[in-house]
Amino acid sequence: MRRTGATTLADVPDDPETREPDADTEEAGAARRGPRPRILAAVLAVALLAGGITLFVQGQRLRDTPATSNHALTDTAATAQVTGDVSSALSKVFSYGPGTTAATKETAKQVLAGKALQQYAALYGQVEKQAADQKLTLTTQVVRAGVTRLGTGSAHLLVFLDQVYEREGKAATTAAAQLSVTARPSGGRWVVVEITSR
Amino acid sequence: MNAPTKSPGTWAVLLAAVLICAFGGWSYAQARGDETLAYARSRDAALADGTRHLARLTSMDGTGAARVKSGLTAWLDASTGPLHDRLEGTRAKDTEALTESGATARGKVTDAALTALDERAGTASLIATVDVEVTPRTGKGGTERKRFEASLARTGDGWKVTALDALPVGGGA
Repeated sequence: MRRTGATTLADVPDDPETREPDADTEEAGAARRGPRPRILAAVLAVALLAGGITLFVQGQRLRDTPATSNHALTDTAATAQVTGDVSSALSKVFSYGPGTTAATKETAKQVLAGKALQQYAALYGQVEKQAADQKLTLTTQVVRAGVTRLGTGSAHLLVFLDQVYEREGKAATTAAAQLSVTARPSGGRWVVVEITSR
Repeated sequence: MNAPTKSPGTWAVLLAAVLICAFGGWSYAQARGDETLAYARSRDAALADGTRHLARLTSMDGTGAARVKSGLTAWLDASTGPLHDRLEGTRAKDTEALTESGATARGKVTDAALTALDERAGTASLIATVDVEVTPRTGKGGTERKRFEASLARTGDGWKVTALDALPVGGGA
């Protein structure tokens, strides 16, 4: 440390006369008092640095947990939006009557995407036939919906549905359906990309 | 003359160290006192505890009086408040009935989500789908798919179930 100080002073180019006494005084002072204050200062600086860094790292560790990257329920507005979008999408695509299958299919293209849309399209031929032949009307209502994971790029929800089947001339029957749903944001709203029946 | 006063460099280093330490402390305090963070942790704890307890509450080994007893003890341990009181009240009757029937049920939670969480009150609502594998004493068993809504409350020993309802079809309309 003392040598560093001396080098710095030696690097200052002009006026050797001022430099000399300055260096001398320092040498003398250090010799008289010993290296104690310098060492104390160094130890203090290292301790403060170590403390600060440790606290910062601990703080970051508290922040960067899976709990914090999940905004389900913590972000009330976003949670309400994804719940609303997904609930509305599911009740729309699983509600149709003999004359409305074409409209439902169009809606599906807007609120479903990816794997969910493929699965839906594969099933829809059957659905159209059934609706026309049996004069079947299906009405789907969301009973409960909960968000398990909500990130910026995807969300996972569990949705409970009640589905009312009405065939012309017959009493209506109600069935329960439970779906695990993955949704992705698209153009300011959430579209359903994966559906698993539970 | 004091050595550090002689070199402003030492003071600068010390000052920088103090500032870094203060920043670290401030950053840590922010994280500690972050309510969203505490809320997120409560949410994950409630979901994990609720899921675990729901699996226990939908399971029962009825192949012997001792097993029924330990199953009922597990039910009591998973519950608190009204549900705990009710199970406690019907314990003797339940032991008899369950031993009599001899059926075994194994509940597996297939998905679960919190629908509400009140951190301050320490209450939460949970919905879950459960596959219950039932094995009767005689005859063929099967797997039932069920959907539940549970109310949870925070206790000294984690979150526990205060109410459990199988949501019937058409019940939510």
